[in-house]
Amino acid sequence: MNFKTFLAFAAVSAIALTGSAWAESVKIGFNAPLTGFAAADGKSALTGAELAVEQANAEGGINGKTIELVVYDDGAKPDQAVPAAKKLIGQDGVKIGISGSYSGSTRAAAQVFQDASVPYISAYAIHPDITRSGKYVFRTSFMGEVQGRAGAKLAGEMLGAKKVVLITLQNDFGKSLAAGFKSKAADFGVSVVNEYQYSIKDRQFGPIVSKVRADNPDAIYASGYFFTAGPLVKQLRARGVKAPIIGQEGYDSDKFIDIAGPAAEGVIITTSLDRDSKKPETMNFIKSFEAKAGFGADMVAASAHTAVKVAVAAMRKAGTDDPAAIRDAIAATRNLAVSTGSISFNGLGEVTKAVQNQVVKGGKWRHHSVIDDPALLAPPSE
Amino acid sequence: MGAYELSLLTLIGINVMLALSLNLITGFCGQISLGHAAFYGVGAYTGAMLTTSGQPFLLALVVAALFAAVAGVIVGLASLRVREDFLAITTMGVGFLFLGVVRQQEWLGGELGISQIPETGLGDGGFIMLVVGATALVFAASVYLKRTWMGFAFDSIADDEDTARTVGIDVARYKLTAFAFGTAIAGIAGCLYAHYARIIVPDAFGFTVSITILAMVVVGGIGSTIGVTIAAVVLTLMPELFRFVNDYKLLLYGGLLLLTMRYSPQGFAGLVRQAAAKARSKSEATP
Amino acid sequence: MLFIDLLVQGLIQGSSYALIAVGLTLVYGLLRILHVAHAGLFTLGAYIAVVVTNTLGSFWLAAVIAPPIVGLAGMLVYRLLYEPILDQPPFVPLIASIGLFICMEEGFRLIFGPYGNSFDEAPFSASLSFGPVYMQGVEAATVVIAFVLLGALAVLAARTRLGTAWRASVTDPQMAQSFGIDIVKVRYLNFFIGSALAAVAGVLVALLNNFVEPTLGSVPSYKMLAIIVLGGLGNVKGTLVAALALGVLESFGTIYAGHLIDRDAIAFLFLIIVLMVRPQGFFGKA
Repeated sequence: MNFKTFLAFAAVSAIALTGSAWAESVKIGFNAPLTGFAAADGKSALTGAELAVEQANAEGGINGKTIELVVYDDGAKPDQAVPAAKKLIGQDGVKIGISGSYSGSTRAAAQVFQDASVPYISAYAIHPDITRSGKYVFRTSFMGEVQGRAGAKLAGEMLGAKKVVLITLQNDFGKSLAAGFKSKAADFGVSVVNEYQYSIKDRQFGPIVSKVRADNPDAIYASGYFFTAGPLVKQLRARGVKAPIIGQEGYDSDKFIDIAGPAAEGVIITTSLDRDSKKPETMNFIKSFEAKAGFGADMVAASAHTAVKVAVAAMRKAGTDDPAAIRDAIAATRNLAVSTGSISFNGLGEVTKAVQNQVVKGGKWRHHSVIDDPALLAPPSE
Repeated sequence: MGAYELSLLTLIGINVMLALSLNLITGFCGQISLGHAAFYGVGAYTGAMLTTSGQPFLLALVVAALFAAVAGVIVGLASLRVREDFLAITTMGVGFLFLGVVRQQEWLGGELGISQIPETGLGDGGFIMLVVGATALVFAASVYLKRTWMGFAFDSIADDEDTARTVGIDVARYKLTAFAFGTAIAGIAGCLYAHYARIIVPDAFGFTVSITILAMVVVGGIGSTIGVTIAAVVLTLMPELFRFVNDYKLLLYGGLLLLTMRYSPQGFAGLVRQAAAKARSKSEATP
Repeated sequence: MLFIDLLVQGLIQGSSYALIAVGLTLVYGLLRILHVAHAGLFTLGAYIAVVVTNTLGSFWLAAVIAPPIVGLAGMLVYRLLYEPILDQPPFVPLIASIGLFICMEEGFRLIFGPYGNSFDEAPFSASLSFGPVYMQGVEAATVVIAFVLLGALAVLAARTRLGTAWRASVTDPQMAQSFGIDIVKVRYLNFFIGSALAAVAGVLVALLNNFVEPTLGSVPSYKMLAIIVLGGLGNVKGTLVAALALGVLESFGTIYAGHLIDRDAIAFLFLIIVLMVRPQGFFGKA
């Protein structure tokens, strides 16, 4: 810890200690899966959000008030997310909610926030209907479809692949990615020769590897999270499949490289965190996260960090606790520089930003390329 | 009561209905089911499909019960063929099959499920009244059923199927009746759940949910309407009560199951009976 | 050639299923308990492999100590949890076992963290090829180890006094006891062997995935139940056949039916069909 971060931490703890005693505080709600199968992502999301709050408080909070993050576990389940959301709004009186959770729970909570007219920002859940809950709901990450389209461009235009095999994770994330990929594949000269599906619980992919080896594609578009993609990539390479592998933000964690080991080399993903970024917000986030968490930053953490930063910026701008004013301030966000790039929203509350492609080189995530094609990446606007 | 407490009350109502409906099949009639969430799911999907296509909520509720009951009778037929642990695993298989098929149906929303489920039109208050009313009705029916001839027939089947048959009880008919009633109630609970969460995804009706429901029945004391009701309330509230220790709440839940079974195998109902017996022997000892 | 490749992959998966399921069917045969927490012991074996290798630097040490440690843990589970509730109806130990399994999963998460663990240096990443069949060394090892250990178990059961005592206790515990067989000892041994075999499977899966996570046992927790039921509950030979059959079925099913129903559903559809035809499983007693 260098002297500067030490000062920052000291300031944070000083405010945290004395804050409750005299300063007024303003509450931000946060739901994430801290237990159950998604606990790893929940933990990353929470750490990212906490970091954003600490940083904002060190800068003086929101118009003189200290920010307090109220955290509830939702186990990534809709039926736990509903009471959690009601508790955040009704009992804790949060002025805004952030989802650090998966699609089902986020969609269920979004409806509660919308009905109560309290703004809600989804950090990384990809269900298309989340923002359709109403005008109080926003999303700071890519929808699956959008990222899938970027994947098609990466495969066809940038890697020159003609024959692509899809290995699709059988959940909302994987299915939306595959749908987006297929919708634009032909435009980039890609033909999808086969698609195989696997469940989020699968860690052994022997049969799929056999079939992919027989298919002999130019590239593989495999959706998944680090805990499925790590074993998948390892097993593909161990059994002699050499085609380039394209992944997405679900891979975006150092854990993926730990699991796949040398097999991870050369894997390219579409994501929103650029490890080699020269932007101060991103560099600062990567450094501070590692200091706080003790391990490298991942996409989920960066997304939660981003969502909180967007919320804080809007609340500062609104200058009041009035939810309607905060909502309008979020909607008016234009080119806000945060850890995952430059954030603006469209009319539906969907984010527009560039896709960062990362590649594993020398056992680390490194910059590969950027896809910044507003027409290709346009999220739905209604 | 605030919105939070009311939403908990709704969740409690739904879970009590689920637990009592499984208690009817497993507790009263002795047919262990590890796939009850599938019928809950049938009800939820039926209800959600109907109201999202513009049908009135109350109609959806009735049709949901009907569809779930039909599915229940079909699975009940399996209970005529396989018994005990084999039946438990067969029903578990039905649960996985249901989920596996639903996941791949685009017309049911596939992995994205069904969202944008409309409001019931009863208002928040009306909806909660409906849930509470339905729960009370299921509870009363459960208590009443136990005292009827049917309740007696269920009992004898649970006790010893072969003996029941020799005394002239139509085992097949009563088993199917238990499945039909039990799954119809689960279907209603499912339809209510769909309009509570206003989104349904396949995973909400998976194996863990079946286990959770069975745990309520067993921890409450299998066959005891009051015990099962209390267990459903306690196990629903537990994660909420332990929100302040987010990290440990699932551990506490597992621990409760384990310790209850280890130290009071008859569940909460057994604890109450023991306490009552102790009190009685004490009062007899001191005239 | 793809056919042979898929068949081999199915047998590899099936061998790993067999190693886990045998312990479960042994427990069921003796005590009529659906021992779901067995999957937690399997996970424990996998964690020992990774954590011991990473801290002490020797994979072989980890591989040698994992089975006996997990075997002892299995005996402890029997002693502390099941023994006091043996005379209860079957759903009591079932729910107790599920409770224990949840506690174990949560325990792993709290102790080792939610992110899971990998080997610092993955051992044995070599691959082998037999003509058109190209497999990982660990996959080949899984098949060989499963056949050797289960073969040894079969010999133990058929040819030794201990085996005779075990078989007698399964068939008729009271009779066995009256012939002077120490039933309690047989039960301890049963849990020890079954759990140790699950640990071996855990070590192999840890190598294969290079990844151990708190929920590693969640799929085995229910799929093993399907396998032992298919095999006819308590029947070791049936369990082996069911494990291999299911492995092969899933292997082909994933490729050719994966767009219709998922892998779990394929397994359970097969289970339901078999049970409707033969309600006592492949080799169960009618």
